[in-house]
Amino acid sequence: MKEYTLDCLGEACPVPLMKTEKKINSMEVGDVLVVQIDHSCAMKNVPEWARTQGYNVEIEEVEDGEWEVVIEKTK
Amino acid sequence: MKKIIEKLEKNQYYLAVFKNPFTYITGAVLLSILQIALLASAGNPWGVSGTFTNWAAWIYEALGGSVDKWFYFSSLGAQNTLNAGFLNDPGSIQNVGIIVGALLATLLASQFKFKKIKSFRQVIAAALGGTLMGYGARLAFGCNIGALFSGISSLSFSGWVFGLFLLIGAFIGSKLLARFFM
Repeated sequence: MKEYTLDCLGEACPVPLMKTEKKINSMEVGDVLVVQIDHSCAMKNVPEWARTQGYNVEIEEVEDGEWEVVIEKTK
Repeated sequence: MKKIIEKLEKNQYYLAVFKNPFTYITGAVLLSILQIALLASAGNPWGVSGTFTNWAAWIYEALGGSVDKWFYFSSLGAQNTLNAGFLNDPGSIQNVGIIVGALLATLLASQFKFKKIKSFRQVIAAALGGTLMGYGARLAFGCNIGALFSGISSLSFSGWVFGLFLLIGAFIGSKLLARFFM
């Protein structure tokens, strides 16, 4: 099980979601991806997409206006 | 003071109204009610991008230029808006409201942040995207607010046509974005 970090700070929609999809597809089942975002609409659409894929998602607000979306590729 | 803020940050009403994003349904209902109120009070359907064209004309005139002979501003309505000035233009006040309101919302949610520019490529993408959207909105006489949202809510067929081509444009745009800027 590996952990990857995806730096999407300063990126506006839909770039964080597109990068997340691309990265997740290259990962193995069981791997974890931490997406760093500072665009509030990505804080909504990235977790939503991951949940529709059936992955485990957690959102953590690390600073004012900055979040880490932790996605576990469960299948 | 620190105690009050700490308490506020856990208050369920603060979280629901200011902090957590609304659901799409909540947003849609609020937008619908507010745009009806706006149409009733301002007399015109809600629009955003057309007003920016007037702002550009005022800036151009302030720098000594003249748009009197430009076809886009040749109608009596456009001339009246330009002559009446910024403070007498409902659209301008609405757009200032959007900017100030967005700032207020992000401050109240304690999410304000200066974002760093990642690369020169990002600057190019933003400038190019903004130019294409602004130019396209003027050619279509409306953006996704004036032409799509206000069009459809006024039961106009043109809003649906705009929506169809908006989807096609968004599809092509996202392909270009993935191809050149990711």
